[in-house]
Amino acid sequence: MSDTSIDRVAKATPPSVAAKIRGLSDRAIAWIFVLPTIFLLLAVNIFPLIWTINLSFTNFRANRPNREVDYIGLRNYERILTDEDIWLTMQATAHFLFWTILLQVLIGFTLAWLINRKFKGNDLWTTLIVLPMMLSPAVVGNFWTFLYQPQIGLFNYGISFLTGIDPSSFQMIGDVKLAPWSIVIVDTWMWTPFVMLICLAGLRSIPDYIYEAAEIDRASQWRQFWTITIPMVLPFLMLAVLFRGIENFKMFDLVVQLTGGGPGSVTELTSINLKREAFEKWRTGYASAYAIILFVTVFGLASIYVKALNKVKER
Amino acid sequence: MSEVRLSNLSKAFGDTVAVDDVSMTIPNGAFVTLLGPTGAGKTTILRLISGLEQPDGGDVFIGGRSVADETPAQRNVAMVFQQYSLYPHMSVRENLAFPLRSPLLKTPAEEIEHKVSEVAKVLRISHKLNNKATELSGGEMQRVSIGRALVRDPTIYLMDEPLSSLDAKLRSDLRVELKRIQENLGATLLYVTHDQIEAMTMSTHVGVLDNGKLVQFGTPREIYENPVNLYVAGRLGQPRINVLPAEMFAGAPAGATKIGLRPEHIQQGEGKGSTVKRIEHLGDQIRLHLTLEGHNVVTLSDPHAGLEPGDTVAIQPRNPLFFDASGIRIT
Repeated sequence: MSDTSIDRVAKATPPSVAAKIRGLSDRAIAWIFVLPTIFLLLAVNIFPLIWTINLSFTNFRANRPNREVDYIGLRNYERILTDEDIWLTMQATAHFLFWTILLQVLIGFTLAWLINRKFKGNDLWTTLIVLPMMLSPAVVGNFWTFLYQPQIGLFNYGISFLTGIDPSSFQMIGDVKLAPWSIVIVDTWMWTPFVMLICLAGLRSIPDYIYEAAEIDRASQWRQFWTITIPMVLPFLMLAVLFRGIENFKMFDLVVQLTGGGPGSVTELTSINLKREAFEKWRTGYASAYAIILFVTVFGLASIYVKALNKVKER
Repeated sequence: MSEVRLSNLSKAFGDTVAVDDVSMTIPNGAFVTLLGPTGAGKTTILRLISGLEQPDGGDVFIGGRSVADETPAQRNVAMVFQQYSLYPHMSVRENLAFPLRSPLLKTPAEEIEHKVSEVAKVLRISHKLNNKATELSGGEMQRVSIGRALVRDPTIYLMDEPLSSLDAKLRSDLRVELKRIQENLGATLLYVTHDQIEAMTMSTHVGVLDNGKLVQFGTPREIYENPVNLYVAGRLGQPRINVLPAEMFAGAPAGATKIGLRPEHIQQGEGKGSTVKRIEHLGDQIRLHLTLEGHNVVTLSDPHAGLEPGDTVAIQPRNPLFFDASGIRIT
């Protein structure tokens, strides 16, 4: 058997001190270090997941712990998938996801592209642009309710300044048509800098000499952009979309603070809806099934997406 | 293809003068090699001609017209970069086709395909056409980068040490191939190297650079046989020219302080006695390391001369080169 360097180090290492003191083998010590993490993982992640799957087949209610629990098979799943209100919630979530990602990618990439032009003070601009994402989402949600205020809100005032509409003539949060857009605007304001940073990393990863070669090969700026910049930034861009997609699928704090899901339930995203079912209506079994459905959806979509991402990277 | 003329070209980066008042004419159809050590300004001259750098002074003329205000695309030059500069996200085929797909050219698809496969065949990368540019060895990348220049029909080919990272066999093969392509196309080619064999074997003209200055420009023979100074004499020739004090031998002209002896300037069998220190066998020749009055001399000899270390060999100069105290050639 050949000695690997690890073997040689192991041989050179004196017998473990712990063994002399307590009679423990190295392997036992290794287990002692790893066990707390394994225990935590089981207790906080794996057990709840299995327990949730179990509960999703029951009519258990957490506020009536002493009531007898019946196993009702797939009834919860059936009810959820045929519930029109839940489909409306899904639609609201899809609307929110689509527009936030689209706007954040477009604006984020444009900003990154502008910042990447070497000009004086671009570091300062980067810092300023990145500020919103350093705030707490709950705080952002809260102070945007003031910005959206029809009488004193800066947002309404700004729109009125630009278009001449009376600032108190529209309510971003109160209007059924405008409310879905109000959450899109705030999320875009907050998270565009994140997409910008990732795009900037992508743009900076393209070496100058590639553009020099393209220049010599007589490619116009336009052609360089589409045949070099975009393809080489694409993996980064897709990563940003993945992050934002997963984050926004779970969106809760910002929207709860901003609209609370209203008016009616037009901004009630799935995670808010789920929280209502689980901890306001206390339909624990039903909410468990709901959670499993969401989990499978996100997991499935993310898997497909990661596969596509890897394909792009391999190209 | 066009004649390219540099007129009093200068370029500095901060305090470093990279190119210092260089003037030269690259005749149409010529294979011109710029020879010099690292930092002599070879690459900067290529970049100034291509338009990737703007000169501080002087001008570049391509086909008789000043290109001072033209972009690299307008100048229509092809360039092989030292660091390959392939497009990493494209296949070898796409890399080679990229210059042909320029909207300025409007090359039909069949012609692109034809040219790409032709160039790939010459450079022996046909089997790698569908590989990604990053899935190649260093030598293959360099060949793709040469190919990307060769598919074009530019005013001049600029090549920055294109053979430097190839192995010895491929390098000598491609040297011949590149020379053949250049002659067939009648292409004007400016070639940068620090390899004297490339300079001697391929070029019609050689320019020797020292610290940004063009020291001598001429045919390889001229540069080899009539170097203007010690620096140029030292850049060409294997083994390197031996430099000894002029007074060691009789017959030095007035003002000469150094005598330069190439192997062909050393006549063996007569003159001063020198001791053999070491013998290197090259096959058809041997390289003799001698000491003559405390000075090292390296020359070539016949492998059948039966010499051994410790033997004494009489040597004397034959039509040597003389240089004055500042290194300038005296004739």
